[in-house]
Amino acid sequence: MTNFHYIGKEASRPDGPDKAAGKAVYIQDLQRPGMLYGKIKFSDFPHARIKHIDTSKAERLTGVRAVITATNTPEIRLGFLRDNFALKKDKVRQYRDEIAAVAAIDPEIAEEAIELIKVEYEPLPGLFSPHEAMKEGAPLVHETDPQGRPRANNQVPLQFHHESGDLEAGKRLAKHVVEGTFTTPMVQQCCMGTAGCIAEFDMNSNLTVWAKTQIPFLAQRDFNRALSDMGLAGKNARVIVPTLGGGFGSGLDTHCYEYIAILLAFRTGYPVKIVYTRAEEFANLSPRQSSTTKIIQGCDQNGKLTFRHVEVLQDNGAYTSWGATYPSVMMMPATSLYRISNVYFNAQLVYTNNTYCQAMRGYGNPEFTWALESNMDELAEETGIDPFDFRMLNSNKPNETTPMGLKISTCGLKECLETVAQKLNWKKRYKKGKHRGKGLASLIHVGGGARIYRSDASGLILKLDDFGNVNVYHGGVEMGQGLHSVLTMAVAEALGVSSERVLINPTDTGTCPWDVGTHASRGAFMACNAAILAANKLRDKIFGLAEVFYPQEVEKNLKKLKKKNPNYKPPDFDVIKAARRENFELQDGFIFIKDGPQESWLRLELARLLRAIHFRNQGQMFTTEVFYDPPNELPDFKKGFGNISATYAFGTQGAEVEVDTETGEVKILKMVAAHDVGKVLNPQALKGQMYGAIAQGIGYAFYEELLSKQGKILNPNFRDYKIPRVYEMNFPIELEFIESNDKFGPFGAKGVAEPGLVPTAPAIANAIYDAIGVRIHDLPITPDKVLAALKKLKQTKD
Amino acid sequence: MKKEISFTLNGSEVTVTIDEHLCLIDILRGPLGQTGTNEGCREGECGACTVIVDGQAVNSCLYPAFEVEGKNVITIEGLQEPNNKLSVFQQAFVDHGAIQCGFCTPGMIMSAKALLDTNQNPTEDEIRDALLGNLCRCTGYVQIVEAVKQAAVQLKNKK
Amino acid sequence: MKRFNYYKPRSLDEAWELKEKIPDALFIAGGTDILVGIKNGELYPPALISLRSIPELNSIKINGGAHIGALTTISDLIHHPALYNIYPVLVEAAKRLGSVQIRNVATIGGNLCNCSPCADMALPLLVLDAKVRLQTAKKNREIPIDEFFKGPGETNLTPNEILTGIVLESPRKSAKAIFLKKGRVRMDLAIASLAALMEMEGEKCQKARLAAGSVAPVPLRLFKVEAQLEGTTITDKLVAEAQQLAAESVAPITDIRATKEYRRQIVSVLVKRALKNILGWSQA
Repeated sequence: MTNFHYIGKEASRPDGPDKAAGKAVYIQDLQRPGMLYGKIKFSDFPHARIKHIDTSKAERLTGVRAVITATNTPEIRLGFLRDNFALKKDKVRQYRDEIAAVAAIDPEIAEEAIELIKVEYEPLPGLFSPHEAMKEGAPLVHETDPQGRPRANNQVPLQFHHESGDLEAGKRLAKHVVEGTFTTPMVQQCCMGTAGCIAEFDMNSNLTVWAKTQIPFLAQRDFNRALSDMGLAGKNARVIVPTLGGGFGSGLDTHCYEYIAILLAFRTGYPVKIVYTRAEEFANLSPRQSSTTKIIQGCDQNGKLTFRHVEVLQDNGAYTSWGATYPSVMMMPATSLYRISNVYFNAQLVYTNNTYCQAMRGYGNPEFTWALESNMDELAEETGIDPFDFRMLNSNKPNETTPMGLKISTCGLKECLETVAQKLNWKKRYKKGKHRGKGLASLIHVGGGARIYRSDASGLILKLDDFGNVNVYHGGVEMGQGLHSVLTMAVAEALGVSSERVLINPTDTGTCPWDVGTHASRGAFMACNAAILAANKLRDKIFGLAEVFYPQEVEKNLKKLKKKNPNYKPPDFDVIKAARRENFELQDGFIFIKDGPQESWLRLELARLLRAIHFRNQGQMFTTEVFYDPPNELPDFKKGFGNISATYAFGTQGAEVEVDTETGEVKILKMVAAHDVGKVLNPQALKGQMYGAIAQGIGYAFYEELLSKQGKILNPNFRDYKIPRVYEMNFPIELEFIESNDKFGPFGAKGVAEPGLVPTAPAIANAIYDAIGVRIHDLPITPDKVLAALKKLKQTKD
Repeated sequence: MKKEISFTLNGSEVTVTIDEHLCLIDILRGPLGQTGTNEGCREGECGACTVIVDGQAVNSCLYPAFEVEGKNVITIEGLQEPNNKLSVFQQAFVDHGAIQCGFCTPGMIMSAKALLDTNQNPTEDEIRDALLGNLCRCTGYVQIVEAVKQAAVQLKNKK
Repeated sequence: MKRFNYYKPRSLDEAWELKEKIPDALFIAGGTDILVGIKNGELYPPALISLRSIPELNSIKINGGAHIGALTTISDLIHHPALYNIYPVLVEAAKRLGSVQIRNVATIGGNLCNCSPCADMALPLLVLDAKVRLQTAKKNREIPIDEFFKGPGETNLTPNEILTGIVLESPRKSAKAIFLKKGRVRMDLAIASLAALMEMEGEKCQKARLAAGSVAPVPLRLFKVEAQLEGTTITDKLVAEAQQLAAESVAPITDIRATKEYRRQIVSVLVKRALKNILGWSQA
């Protein structure tokens, strides 16, 4: 066990003080000289032909500098299936379709101008559920594909399929089988800071976008493509990420409003800022995809799982974004949570005229684990085995490969299960009639990056200056999760300097090396691994040159000391002989000889050494770069095979609940969470991530739901979209971190940002079942669903 | 119609000429350039815009500009101490990991300050009641409550 | 159009004059409802006439009974040194309204005039048999509060009439009251709420007052339930009957917050819990 200076120790985050002082500059706060304000006109119908757009009154309003529509701007397509458009021309396919936009000298004038834009529509029949959209003869949401070829139906042309083992054999071996259908709703990321950007061209037609994004480099690629569409091929987009007021997946794709800001900026010749209001954030930004999962599992008489059959149906909404790829992540627990052979997984996505969805924390895993972990309890009961024992029996083990080809290295699942059972006092269950119950659920998630794109790499540059500061340039994004915190610690630890000397620079495609994006809990894993590699490279360089410069500098130290203290007798130590690269150590910003004498003059300030190397003829400075590409694979999602991550995170959560059977309200008495995190990097930040994730899991379990009727969001505000407040988090939460010390993880650590909310809802549902014998299949578990289920149960009994 | 109003902001007298239909948050973030107070919903639900007016925590997004005439307003910028030091409230948040994205933080700290200015010994229930109007999506509130408890202790010790 | 003029009259006369001049102007108290309505485009007044600077509207006088000025903030109700001892149910309801930030500016008069079916302050005032004082430049009147509410968002105020205060009688020592509110989460508009008051003489109920919120177009007195309870000895059976009667008396709707069936069910449960609490019976 290494004794770390920083890793594993409590450390407050470096960006904390500025945030506490109200000094952090969010996109809302950012100003650029001459900046204009953009506002968007959204569709008044969920599905309609656009017959005419009258912008004349808006154009004449004093203070308006530009009004754009698809008719007076080049076509810009977006989305990885290229089925979306920055501004809609012929047709609107959802309420939030962008029809026109305005740039004005202040936001109020922009808003007034929007109200002056009149659109003539020819309404078309709308499709508001996958079932409606799959019916024979249903109208087409997209008549053609991006290549102009006619579409036959509303099926999204993406395949997610997995078959392994022998499903029929597995079914034959099963003594007990349980099947169920589970649904999850659309849920909003609810970042406290809403979405927005500023787009600005320089006089060379190069673009800068300050963006609330988690994918600065993929955004750069998308914006460069847009520039090409605008006749500016060869010009470059630079993406700078300001302080983010949250992310949670909302920044994982580019958005129409960003392209609209770019078009307005080009049209006006001035920077244009677009920031969403809270109502626009709820109604016009892409939320978490909803899902319907049918799951059938079987086990033998001892409780060993013999097969698993999964079918997923998702409402894709009008356009395709990352919500459509949730099945790629669902495949992971479907094939690999608990030891299972004989797996069938298939997912279908269907276009509708509902809002399209994109990434949100967990990315399909909370949705699927809701179904799987509920079904596990049902199967356990059917088999007559305790849910904890059932899971222990089928638990994943270290160093195994799963049906999907996931190479599990470390695996703390058994320890997590045991920890939760012990903390919940699992053996002591509540008597029937007390309306109190206990439940648990586990998770598997990617913990070592996630190769969902051709590259899962992350670059990092370390630049030392004359003062011993380490300037860090990294393309990952700090959105509150604490990336900068752990990166600071990792650099300080690996290099051997004080953490106060580590300065993280803003994420900027112009200065930082490429990174695919901060998602899939990969931020710390990538950044810290890259930091360790870069630090080692740097240490090597420093120690190499120290062979010459260390002796001469410490000699000066000794002279100075002798002058001050003429009686000083130095120890018998040949500095020049000892000054070999392999003998040096760098710690707390001081370089010294390992196992050498403890004399103060032999401890040389790194900054001194650097200045000596710099300020001379043929001087040198130290900048080093690393491009870390983790050992994982891009899976074939049609076959459902590939080791998507370098390592996997596991965890278990347990809930103790009390149900008010007269009102259907569920009170959480206690939550317990045990997570295999590999290694705790920053305890404070890790706890914060877990508490925050559990809060989101609580919301997901009980009341979060974007209500949509005929394509319109009915609750685009915090009054009617409820998220937990401090009062709702008023129960003990016990956290325990299992350190499995993964060899692929930086200092042994795995990714931790998402796992915290994956098993929360099913753990609670399992506890409710234990308390009152009813199982809710459809999130959120609202009181009236509980009452309805209790009523049904009573009727069945009577 | 623009009119002139004067009030005390963080201990200093300020005068601004402002449109009648605006709210306190617009004066703070606009002509006064105090962008520490954040707008999260403009409906009095999220509390990100919380400031203290005459000793009481209010949502500045719903406080009509003209009502602030002659009043004493404290924002997050007013908490900072000389020589770049954080106040007890702010430092407690930093020390306890109560800050992640930070967007809710200024409002949350102002609600905490409003509580501790009038109640030096708050129970945990009183702390939760004081913070009920402040939403946070990142932290799960646990470390925030711990930070407020710590600030209460430190303020008492100071006295 | 979200622009408006903002006036701050210093007297009621000035306020009425402004309203005469600008008939479409709205009187505003704390503003926590009106400003949101304007932002959402539901209201578009050309002007707001703030009543916040009119001193006589902002005071609480205790004199046997009480006179509460309409512009008394919810916070001031809670922190008043004497009010809790005399009308605890009023203060308990006040504590459940919104958040600290809202309570520091929202007013009791504003809450009543907003006239939501779930107005938190309406219920305790209904069970306390409160009267409201309504004034124009020419006329003053006092009406029982249950005649004040007309429909969702609609009061019985005549044009230019201002609700200036709430008048409460001196309470009986034997009166015990409770306020219960159910929301989806703690800080919420009520899905269903109830205030209940009973004056007991030994085992016999002398007076019963029940008012339910969010289950009818207006905050609703449950007259039938009151009649059933008054003058009798309360038993378990009677409580069950009261629950049934309450469920039948209300007319909830289904909206995005709750279904009508659920609201009806909750009102029934709240009646039971309220009565048991007042009587000091175990809730089991």
